[in-house]
Amino acid sequence: MPDDLDQLEQDLRVAAALADPVPVRLVEGAITAYAWRTVDADLAELVFDSLSESAVAAVRGGDQPRVLTFRTADLTVELELSGSSRLVGRVEPPVHQVDIQQGARTVPVPVDGLGRFATSDLTRGALRLHIRTGQRTVVTDWI
Amino acid sequence: MQGEDAGTLVRLAADGDESAWAALVRRFSGLVWSVARSHNLGGADAEEVFQTTWLRLTEHVGRLKEPDRVGAWLATTARHESLKIIRAGKRSAPTDDLDALDLGDDDSPEMRFLDAEQAAADDVTKQQLWAAFQRLPDRCRELLRVLIADPPLSYTEISAMFGIAIGSIGPTRGRCLRQLRELFTLEEQLGRRRA
Repeated sequence: MPDDLDQLEQDLRVAAALADPVPVRLVEGAITAYAWRTVDADLAELVFDSLSESAVAAVRGGDQPRVLTFRTADLTVELELSGSSRLVGRVEPPVHQVDIQQGARTVPVPVDGLGRFATSDLTRGALRLHIRTGQRTVVTDWI
Repeated sequence: MQGEDAGTLVRLAADGDESAWAALVRRFSGLVWSVARSHNLGGADAEEVFQTTWLRLTEHVGRLKEPDRVGAWLATTARHESLKIIRAGKRSAPTDDLDALDLGDDDSPEMRFLDAEQAAADDVTKQQLWAAFQRLPDRCRELLRVLIADPPLSYTEISAMFGIAIGSIGPTRGRCLRQLRELFTLEEQLGRRRA
């Protein structure tokens, strides 16, 4: 039955396209982002995020830092993000340095003997870590 | 590239084909944006969701279990990222969509008077429809945004994304659209009163 609800849905489609189109510069940014693809690195996937659905139920809420865990077969990275610019983390097994990438900007951060690192030099937007272990490079998922 | 199916584009992009990647972005940008905006996220937050979602795909494009369902993967990722921003409780102010809707008249000289008048009337109608849409409950806005996205997700994909039964999508859509029609009628009445 071709009802007027179908027509309403179509009208809504047109209204949405006019009222709220995807900003062109975002589309261009997503196309450019392909250049940051790392072909020869291992991906440390996000295996825990305190903001994910399953984790939130167990957390009390409030102003706690966001806690994340990334993992490959032989490397674990834990991150704690508080406020908008503060990050502390630990990588196991320890390495000398991690590189924090935000867009085209990459900041090296030293790691101590226990694998700990910290920075207050973050900007708004997605970030990920590059970690060199021996001959290989590991990148974390973007968060 | 335009004619290639999504699964082929994913495989090509995974092999380093930049134009396949660009085609993927162009094809699914509307969907990703729709999902972010359906959560009532303001401009800066919606942009962050959009960017994070596409960045995430750059690393996962060669790892997708079902390359032809990349649309569903993107929509689900965008949804999770949107919910994280809401849970973090630090969303930026939602933009006023009515302000964004500045549908100026077409000033082209060849446009005849009657056409212009008709177009202006159409614009007002669309503004009112959009205003009505903003008043829908979150769940309805979220579902309709995905249904009107181009390309739209299949009911199977929507079912997996929202964790609802396939059989309930049709009825929910109907209920949401009828509610939209009521709100739209109200907007029209308000509009007439203002005029």
